[in-house]
Amino acid sequence: MLKGQQDAYNLNQMTQGGQEMKTLKRVGYPVFILVLCMAIVAGCGNSGGGNGAAPAEGSDKKDSGNNKDRVTLKVEVFDRGNSPEGVTVTNNEMTKYVQENFGDPNNIDVEFVAIPRSEEINNLNVLMAAGTAPDVIFTYNQGAAYSWAKQGGLTDLASAIDEHGPQLKEYLKDSLQYGVFDGSQFAVVARRVHLQKYSSIIRQDWLDQLNMPVPTTTEETYETLKAFKDNKLGGDRTIPFAFALAPDSYEPVIWSFIKEQSDEARYLRSVTIGSREYPILMDGHKEGVQFLNKLYNEGLLDPDFALDKDKKKKTENFVNGHSGLFTFDTGTAFGGESSTVAMLEKNVPDASVVPLLPFTDFEGKSRQPAYTPAGMYIMVPSFSERSAEAIKYLNWMAQDEVIQFMAFGEEGVHFDMVDGFPVGKDGDVGAKLLYNSGDMLIVTNGIDFGSAEKNREYMARMVQEKHREMAKQSMEFSDKDAVQQPIAFDKPLDSEAKYSVVMLEKYEELLVKSIMSSEANFDKTYDAAIKDFMDTAGNEVFAERKAAYEAMK
Amino acid sequence: MEKKMKFSTFDVINTMIILLGVVICLAPFLHILSISLSGTGPIMSGKVTIFPVELNFEAYARVLSDNSMIRSMLFTIMLTAVFTASAMIMTTMAAYALSYANLKGRNLFMFIIVFTMFFGGGLIPEYLLIKSLNILDTMSVLILPGLISPFYMIIMITFFRSTIPESLNEAAEIDGCSDFGKLFRIILPLSLPVLATLSLFYAVGRWNGFRDALFFITDQDLYPLQLKLYQMVMNNMISEVTLSEGTNAAAVKYLPESLKAASIMFATVPILIVYPWLQRYFVSGLTLGSVKG
Amino acid sequence: MSRSFLFRRWQLYVMLILPMTFFIVFKYLPIYGITIAFKEFNVFKGIAGSEWVGLDVFKSIFSQQGFYTALRNTFLLNGLDLVFGFPAPIILAICLNELRMKMFKKVSQTLLYLPHFISWVIIGGMVYQVFSTNYGIVNLVLKEIGLGPFPFLSDKFHWLATYTSVGIWQGVGWGSIIYLAAITGINKELYEAADVDGASRLRKIWHITLPGIRTTIIVLLILKIGDMVDIGFDRPYIIGNVMVRDFSDVLSTYIYRIGLESGQFSIATAVGLFQAIVGLVFILGANYLSKKTTDEGIF
Repeated sequence: MLKGQQDAYNLNQMTQGGQEMKTLKRVGYPVFILVLCMAIVAGCGNSGGGNGAAPAEGSDKKDSGNNKDRVTLKVEVFDRGNSPEGVTVTNNEMTKYVQENFGDPNNIDVEFVAIPRSEEINNLNVLMAAGTAPDVIFTYNQGAAYSWAKQGGLTDLASAIDEHGPQLKEYLKDSLQYGVFDGSQFAVVARRVHLQKYSSIIRQDWLDQLNMPVPTTTEETYETLKAFKDNKLGGDRTIPFAFALAPDSYEPVIWSFIKEQSDEARYLRSVTIGSREYPILMDGHKEGVQFLNKLYNEGLLDPDFALDKDKKKKTENFVNGHSGLFTFDTGTAFGGESSTVAMLEKNVPDASVVPLLPFTDFEGKSRQPAYTPAGMYIMVPSFSERSAEAIKYLNWMAQDEVIQFMAFGEEGVHFDMVDGFPVGKDGDVGAKLLYNSGDMLIVTNGIDFGSAEKNREYMARMVQEKHREMAKQSMEFSDKDAVQQPIAFDKPLDSEAKYSVVMLEKYEELLVKSIMSSEANFDKTYDAAIKDFMDTAGNEVFAERKAAYEAMK
Repeated sequence: MEKKMKFSTFDVINTMIILLGVVICLAPFLHILSISLSGTGPIMSGKVTIFPVELNFEAYARVLSDNSMIRSMLFTIMLTAVFTASAMIMTTMAAYALSYANLKGRNLFMFIIVFTMFFGGGLIPEYLLIKSLNILDTMSVLILPGLISPFYMIIMITFFRSTIPESLNEAAEIDGCSDFGKLFRIILPLSLPVLATLSLFYAVGRWNGFRDALFFITDQDLYPLQLKLYQMVMNNMISEVTLSEGTNAAAVKYLPESLKAASIMFATVPILIVYPWLQRYFVSGLTLGSVKG
Repeated sequence: MSRSFLFRRWQLYVMLILPMTFFIVFKYLPIYGITIAFKEFNVFKGIAGSEWVGLDVFKSIFSQQGFYTALRNTFLLNGLDLVFGFPAPIILAICLNELRMKMFKKVSQTLLYLPHFISWVIIGGMVYQVFSTNYGIVNLVLKEIGLGPFPFLSDKFHWLATYTSVGIWQGVGWGSIIYLAAITGINKELYEAADVDGASRLRKIWHITLPGIRTTIIVLLILKIGDMVDIGFDRPYIIGNVMVRDFSDVLSTYIYRIGLESGQFSIATAVGLFQAIVGLVFILGANYLSKKTTDEGIF
């Protein structure tokens, strides 16, 4: 295919040399131009066409040649740029497994289409506009799924599921209902096994130094943080509560101050942004922010927290021994040698941590947010003619032995069973099979071992042995008094989709301005920020929420 | 010219300013370099500034042993060379013709071109065009749509007009030189600095560009190096992603920071060499010689 | 006369065939996409199939306060770049040109353009480490000598300075290349004559070097003015933060914010069209003024 360009390149060399000009002159300029035309336009165009069309022709031939009924099912797969050497996301041991075990027996060619993870929505939009999007597409982005449904671009999968997806239905259970928009099953929603959202740990050695117990209420936690600060346990730079402008920092605090529980309150006084519920108008929200304001003004938070959106500084402060209390996304702080806790122990040899529930609500419960049991949205575009095959594919994937293989590989080859749990073999045996298993095994988010306890046990097994018990306990804590969020309406709300980024930005502004204001100015700042939020987006969103709630009642 | 190498206060101050600038510009690069040479622990703890901590070359060993990286590098070098050559031919032709102030219809042509600097169809029509030209997923799609940058073309026109003396033009015309002859024999040899500069601009633009490939290329053999890099750096950076994807994302193997940094170094160094090499064409005094000859 | 020019200069038109074909095929064929600004774009119905909504998209944009703030900030940030960022590479090119040590000159040129190769995502992380109020390197150093701390990132006026300087740092070396090339084109005889007259270095810069690159400066200035309403996304978005949003919210981030989930294409296209028209007017205006006053221009 490079011939055309090679010509152009040579030609360029020639002309730049200048020597060959005489020859060119003799042959005549029309020829020169013609060559140039061919080299640049025709050359590339032709060779391009040939190259571009080749794979398609190949598969067409296969279709008509081998078997008339053989069809191609195109399935999206994320490309995160992390493929091991020698394989790609569209061609690796797992794609071969899918072809051999699902494709061939069903007379289907499964073709994977790589979608760059970071540009998935743009990319899918372009492919949809061109009518060349894969038959099976998926996203975690609820807003995008809603918007495609609203534009009439998705297939109603209800009948296909009834016909081809008994196993799938059985497996997904409740999560399927999250894919119903306005009465139509526009998405198959994957299961989410682990619903814990946030966990907390505190420096045990600091508590010991102060002779203090592990705090169990918000008040005790506050006293403890103050003691950390007063005694400068983290040096001059002690930041008692590792805090960033990120949900894992502010959500655990704010939710513990919320006094309302009813569905009505959650429909009418919270907004959903992305997959998170923000109880912005609920009773107690203000007190939650005010508590953070107090912590900030007493020097218990990182003064630069507003700049730390990616939590990098927060983690750095903790692993370097400057911070005492650390809240995090469940499952992230414990782990292997490069986990947060392991790093802390390495940097600060005396350090030890203990899991805790630092914040309590007005009833003394440790109310905290949790995920809904729904994972990614799997959809079939309306122009696809493969909805039956798509459901067959998901139905096949929902079998226990397929899930097991796609998550862990083959027993004895990639993993061994120890105490009823799969343990990956050392080394890179499974690398080319399992490196993107989470993006291939799309029907579930996490592996279900049958009970909450077993699932915790399994998760803890991925943690260094010395931290296992702690990790298990931390996960147990994360389940306590957890409130699932968000409550979904039976149809997408236009205003919420429209203002999702605006609301998030305004909410962050509200947090930053209110937390950083002086204690005396707090009321004024907070009220002004709420007003700003309401004026820019809130009023419209809450009006629509109210209307939708009334209609649903 | 500089017979007397006397250093005045002016020289000292000037040199100091440049030296300061160099330090400020070099530091972040050293930072990335040190990260590529450091252990994961110090990186995570924020201890790596401009010197490596726990020095090791593992990341580079991994990058260099990855065949797909090497292949991508070779492809990108070839792509950049072909693109730069084609773009320079096209741009030079257009700029030369349009540098004639009295070319009939010049203002119309210029307007047609300048208009495209501001108005465009957007991603979807472009995608459909490229699809209908049948060049999706080919090297051509990384070459053709960017062949002429109006911006660079205007710069070239400016240079043609300002550095080539009118007398020379007239002399050539009296000699009966054709336009093509004049372009190749008089104008281009006189314009080496701008040719070198614009080649550099085109080459660096192509080398660093990946947005087009993000949409128009799915064949991983045709991934430019920067696209691979972007995937590595970006996909692991969006904290929002790991949050909502929960355990699925955890099941995806992530790349260590040092590997990312090593890949950045690997992908940046080749294009850095181009400029020092092109500097040789930044020689003055050609004007004189040409008039005499 | 006209016939004879066409006839005599047919080769020039032949040279234009391919370039003009290029512009028509790759730039004008897809231009119908502009109509998205006047439609309620539905990805699945395509551009032709989507419904016309007239000026509704524009009306909704022009009725939002946020749009005007973003527009003002775009002018503000681009204006700062014009005032401080535009002359910087010219000054640097002249400084580099005056360096006596050949080797140092070559090496420093290469090192000065390194920042151009570092992506904004990475620069963003570094900016925070370097400039944050309490633990940023700059403020720690300033504290040692008894100054500060300065809220480089958290106060919006300080932030403007940070934004502008980071932009200069990132682009100055790269931007100077074009001027260095222009300086190379200056006739050496002029300098030799000035030497004979015993002119000082500064006088030579003022009377020879600057006039020698005048055309280049003017043309780049005109192009820059045409870009006044156009602003990249990465730099304001990544260097910006919640505390300075009053200034860091520009048209590109505005599009991202209001268009992410809904009608992204219609709104983005409409704002793009607005920017294009303003840009075209600016560049034609600047060109006209320049023609009038200096007789230089791009047309």
